[in-house]
Amino acid sequence: MIPINFVVGLAAIIFAIGAIGVMARRNPLIMFMSAEMMWNSAALAFIAFARQWHSMSGQVMAFLIVGTAAAEVGIGLAIIVTVYHRRHRLDIDEISGMKG
Amino acid sequence: MIPFIILAVIAIAGALGVILGRQPVHSALALVGNILALAVLYLLLSAEFLAVAQVIVYAGAIMVLFLFVVTLLTAGKEEGEPPEELGGQRWWAGIFAIGVGVVLAVLAITHPGSAVNTGIPSNFGTIDGLGHLLWGPDFLYLMAVAIMLLTAAVGILVLNRPMKRPRVSRPGRRES
Repeated sequence: MIPINFVVGLAAIIFAIGAIGVMARRNPLIMFMSAEMMWNSAALAFIAFARQWHSMSGQVMAFLIVGTAAAEVGIGLAIIVTVYHRRHRLDIDEISGMKG
Repeated sequence: MIPFIILAVIAIAGALGVILGRQPVHSALALVGNILALAVLYLLLSAEFLAVAQVIVYAGAIMVLFLFVVTLLTAGKEEGEPPEELGGQRWWAGIFAIGVGVVLAVLAITHPGSAVNTGIPSNFGTIDGLGHLLWGPDFLYLMAVAIMLLTAAVGILVLNRPMKRPRVSRPGRRES
């Protein structure tokens, strides 16, 4: 059995890399992929804890994370495509008009 | 331990490929590698159903959607990264995120926690065990996610409806 602390450490590293991607890149597609990576690392931590504590609630949460990520990707890509059709640029600042 | 190290190296390499890719399609392919490595890692953590769901939903559905959008928006363009307008944005992002990552990883590795050894049930990680939980005590969460997915589908339809006054008028092209 893999020690849980290394799995959670791996999840933390992937989460940090995803956070760098979200904050440093300006292409909305790449920012979305980085956000997907952050969801994935959270699911990995949940599954590792489920294995360690022999309780399947963590796996239920990981399953819900997969569903939430699917909804998020659908909405996000629809917004990106809509904005691109109006502005014809792939830049996250084009979406700053959404701030209400 | 050795399979874990191999998978961790593949996953971190894929993650770095996502944020360092010059073209979005390179990032998408690196993300597929990351996701597949994590799926095998789920198998090692005895989450068989989630490993299969990860491959089908992420590597199948979500990444295909990503690749469709990437081909739709960036095909045939050599468009670089837009210039950063905030001063030193990349440096600050890197410093803060690496700091957070190092702190989290060190805390996670040095505090393993104590497991309550209750014994693994025979249906641990299978679709049988997960279904008993999802349709039993955790039914509320399942319904919440179902309503959220429905809302997202309606939202996508609303976002992609034909505009009444198209700003970019090109003959023969559907505005979406």
